Amino acid sequence: MAETILVVDDDLDILELLKMNLEPEGYNVRTASDGDSAVQSACTDPPDLILLDVMMPHKNGFQVIEELKDIEETKSVPVILVTARGQTEDKVRGLDTGADDYITKPFDLREVTARVEAVLGRTRPIKYINPLMRAMGEGFSEKGLEQLAGHLQAAAAIQKKLLPEQAPSIDGFDIATLLQSSTSVSGDFYDFIPLSETQIGIVLGDVKGNGIPAALLMVMIRTALRLLCHEEDTPALILKRINDLVARDTEADLFATMIYGILDTETSTFTYSNGGHCYPLRWNTARNIDVLKTGGMLIGAFEEATFTTGTCLLAPGDILVFYTDGITETEAGDDPGSDENHGVSENSEQSDVYPDAIPTDTFYGGDRLAVCLSKNAALSASALCEAVVNDLALFSGSTQTPDDRALIVIKRDV
Amino acid sequence: MNFDTTIGEENISTLHVEGKILGNATDTFRKEMEMQLQTGYDKLVVDLTNVPLIDSSALGAIVTTLKSCQESGGKLVLLNPQKAVQEVLEVTHLATVIEIYDTEESARDAFM
Repeated sequence: MAETILVVDDDLDILELLKMNLEPEGYNVRTASDGDSAVQSACTDPPDLILLDVMMPHKNGFQVIEELKDIEETKSVPVILVTARGQTEDKVRGLDTGADDYITKPFDLREVTARVEAVLGRTRPIKYINPLMRAMGEGFSEKGLEQLAGHLQAAAAIQKKLLPEQAPSIDGFDIATLLQSSTSVSGDFYDFIPLSETQIGIVLGDVKGNGIPAALLMVMIRTALRLLCHEEDTPALILKRINDLVARDTEADLFATMIYGILDTETSTFTYSNGGHCYPLRWNTARNIDVLKTGGMLIGAFEEATFTTGTCLLAPGDILVFYTDGITETEAGDDPGSDENHGVSENSEQSDVYPDAIPTDTFYGGDRLAVCLSKNAALSASALCEAVVNDLALFSGSTQTPDDRALIVIKRDV
Repeated sequence: MNFDTTIGEENISTLHVEGKILGNATDTFRKEMEMQLQTGYDKLVVDLTNVPLIDSSALGAIVTTLKSCQESGGKLVLLNPQKAVQEVLEVTHLATVIEIYDTEESARDAFM
């Protein structure tokens, strides 16, 4: 949805000029020609940004800001002041009063656009996250929970919409996903975020904890990631920022585990960091399985957590797999379909894959997943997902999913 | 899941848990640890020798209690987690912030 800018100036020519300049940039522009109507317009329907002239008769720009900062609906709307050149005092006073930036008259129209975009870029994340944080705060009280319970259904619907229906199609790679939810609101999530012509951000995560706070945490993490990952930072730094955001504002027992990485189709590398999530597996055409262990602490419990970025090269035919613990913690049924090739080849250098794995006679485990992957490596990514689902059904003797399960398979074309 | 709690020297409280800590059992587990804290015992040893598996809520309960103990000047340590539990602690990197001991004696020494 287009963002709305309220432009306030007593000079109608300037109003028209700014409107003509900003609308082609994709903004909705509303105008007001004096302080009173500006305050009224902002209260009735708070805009995303206000471009406010200082020198106006009756009520000047400073008075308008002061009023806006006193009103609940408008106090967090960012304001850019438009002042006369050289009025340093005005600038200082404006920033003191709570303006976010200023532009001096006469202005260069390109500068106006750049400053508008810069301020919106800074305040956009706060605007999306604030209502979520407020809702989560209430989520911890009985009354809040009662109020929110009615919205659980709606939350489930929103969550489903947030998950991409299809894996993206990328030249040179075959990508498939699987998500099975055990209840209406899923803790597992994934997302694909195009970063550039040759780079795509990929995330797979699992929000722990229950009910509405957990569902909101998932939405918050996904939103924060979407907003943060466009910057050219390492996956480790991005996880660190998300961790700090969640750790600061939620209870310690509400946390998530997640992998975030960047698939570069030009260099065929996957650069990733891992916040306490099940280790990704890489199968290579020499029939080895590598367990990618680079990463750090689970997300959201400790503010001082640190993360490391790792890179893995994907050769033609290599397969990368991310999954959630709903897969590896699937419990065995009465007859967990025996598998003569069980365990990873002893000749392999990687024979100590999952040395401390959950015993595979009780739980599916990373070991059996690795075997299933190896046996079906010739299949397409989506057929591989299906093979895992079938193997899980064979193992558990049931097609039911007691826990959420998510799986991403990325295969480089041969 | 069953458990019993013993208070030893130096007011160190040891929680012996037996069985999987999953689902409803997690709530009981969380409440028992909270009760220890509320009654003033903030030196906790959680004995996981007989726990084959814990779920993420139980992990959350441990993290919350760990932080509460630290805030009041105490400590929470884990005793003898089994393979599956140990792996969860390693994957989540909680093993880097929680002290883990093999024997009851070394766990108790951690508070001296």
